Amino acid sequence: MSDEKQEKKGGAIDRRDFLQGMATVPVLGLFGYALAQEQRHIKKLKAAKAGKEEDKNVAELNVALLGAGAQGTVLLNAMLQLPGLRFRAVCDIWTEYNQRRALNLLKKYGHEANGYEDYREMLDKEKNLDAVVIATPDFWHSRHTVDCLEAGLHVYCEKEMSNTLEGAKAMVLAARRTGKLLQIGHQRRSHPRYIHSYEKIIKEAGLLGRIVTVNGQWNRSVQADLGWPAKYAIPEATLKKYGFKDMHQFCNWRWYKGLGGGPIVDLGSHQIDIYNWFLEARPKAVVASGGTDYYSPETHEWYDTVMCIFEYETAKGRARAYYQTQTTNGSNGYYEMFMGDEGTLVISESDAGGKGGLVYRQPNAPTWDEWIQKGYVSAPRQIERAAGPALTDVRESASPDEHTIPIEFNDPYHKPHLRNFFNSIRGLEKLNCPAEVGYETAVCTLKVNEAIEAGRRLEFDPREFQV
Amino acid sequence: MSEDKFTSLQKVALVILRVLIGWHFLYEGVAKLLKGNWSAAGYLSQSRGFLAPFFHWIVDTPTVLAVVNQMNIWGLIAIGLGLIVGCLTRWAAYAGMLLIALYYLANPPFVGFYYSIPMEGNYLIVNKNLVEMAALFVIAITPNGRWAGLDFLLHKLFCRKK
Repeated sequence: MSDEKQEKKGGAIDRRDFLQGMATVPVLGLFGYALAQEQRHIKKLKAAKAGKEEDKNVAELNVALLGAGAQGTVLLNAMLQLPGLRFRAVCDIWTEYNQRRALNLLKKYGHEANGYEDYREMLDKEKNLDAVVIATPDFWHSRHTVDCLEAGLHVYCEKEMSNTLEGAKAMVLAARRTGKLLQIGHQRRSHPRYIHSYEKIIKEAGLLGRIVTVNGQWNRSVQADLGWPAKYAIPEATLKKYGFKDMHQFCNWRWYKGLGGGPIVDLGSHQIDIYNWFLEARPKAVVASGGTDYYSPETHEWYDTVMCIFEYETAKGRARAYYQTQTTNGSNGYYEMFMGDEGTLVISESDAGGKGGLVYRQPNAPTWDEWIQKGYVSAPRQIERAAGPALTDVRESASPDEHTIPIEFNDPYHKPHLRNFFNSIRGLEKLNCPAEVGYETAVCTLKVNEAIEAGRRLEFDPREFQV
Repeated sequence: MSEDKFTSLQKVALVILRVLIGWHFLYEGVAKLLKGNWSAAGYLSQSRGFLAPFFHWIVDTPTVLAVVNQMNIWGLIAIGLGLIVGCLTRWAAYAGMLLIALYYLANPPFVGFYYSIPMEGNYLIVNKNLVEMAALFVIAITPNGRWAGLDFLLHKLFCRKK
């Protein structure tokens, strides 16, 4: 860059001229190096994000569906996406409607399945079955599961495991006695984002620090009672035979005592199950408040509104976990939030409310650069807050960085859990929610209804969780 | 010669400024290129100000949008390369100013305009686009590429009579 050089115009280009002309070209090399580093990093993150490929070469299993209502249809649709399943039978007492719908769906996918009203007849006649998927009302779970296990089938049973602890206990014992597999339908146990959150974020990286409080909810908007097409009504004798008072009760069994457990059991048990899982503990006590505050108690024997707090003694110390479910306002949907002294995890099965998987770092926590580079959490986004006088208030904490969980999940919610069940039968995996785990969750959830009835704080005896 | 008026330190500083802006342009272009499906549609569709109808027309006309997208990507890359290696520096600087002026006018930070694509920082009329544009102006009016860059060689080869 010398000035004298500039003066000597007209001369040939010598070495010095060349160097001056090319002086900034090496920057391109630096740029290329930085770009290659970045691309390698992005590729690594993408690889971590992508789920496992479906293995098409798996042993074929003969499967029956017991209970083909709304939930049974959800499970059936998820199963139809899994390889290596041959559907042999569908059992449902609503032969003209639920059963026919399921059989038609199966036919469309090339499965020749037989229809049954009585599950015992199905077990007598279908001798080649490997597994049964049960999605009947809660009060039937225990008998259906025990009888199917005794018949030599592996069982996937929807939660709640049973509407009574005796029923749930009988299921655990039957699984042990027969040596057959029993998976309970707490499908978040197989959800890749939940597994990532537990294994990587909470356990390995410890990003939350010590979890001191938890809260979660499942809020739903007002819903009319479920109806039925009059011409397809089940004959009264059949309804009575299977324990239902009338068609209204048959369709809305979840709200009736002795049949279901109400929203805290239908919805809450999924999430209370996550509390136990992520806190690696069982609760010591529960306080609860609830009631049928909005709907008619005639048709809604179980509580339409429930709020409860569990007390835990975790390995790291005491934790309190709040949970609410209400059926009159769907704001903020459903999610679970784990709040530790270093970070917060907000997670939901659904992406709809934007709460599918967020992690917030407390300003006092160590930096998370290492975990961002490993792809455990995304790069942070600073949350902008409206500036105002309150910003200088010493009682306030600075707003945390927001990270997302970089795990893509676009499958039906139940698919990974069902895959885990069938692959466990094939000896490829281990059950993510065996009977004992489902039992612990049933103990916790059924105790909430008990605490509401008792109107006081109830303690758990550690022996209650054992079968 | 006008360059006589600059000290060596001033020349070094101005060359650094040129290379840094070049890097920024080049990466903006390469990043969009590598994304594969990048489009200016989002940025243009939230356009405010007197040129908004023009930018909205671009978004609403698929063929024009496709051309604009490609021109933007390759324009950024070409300008970035030119600034880094100091080749046709003056042209690169003016082209860069034009490009940034379009960005600025598409989403001007004027009072009462709100944008959904978030920008870091806080701006009132002056934003980083405007600052980068002014910096390019400085580069355009100095013989920056001839101090350290291919322009020095081009100048020697093609402007010997000067």
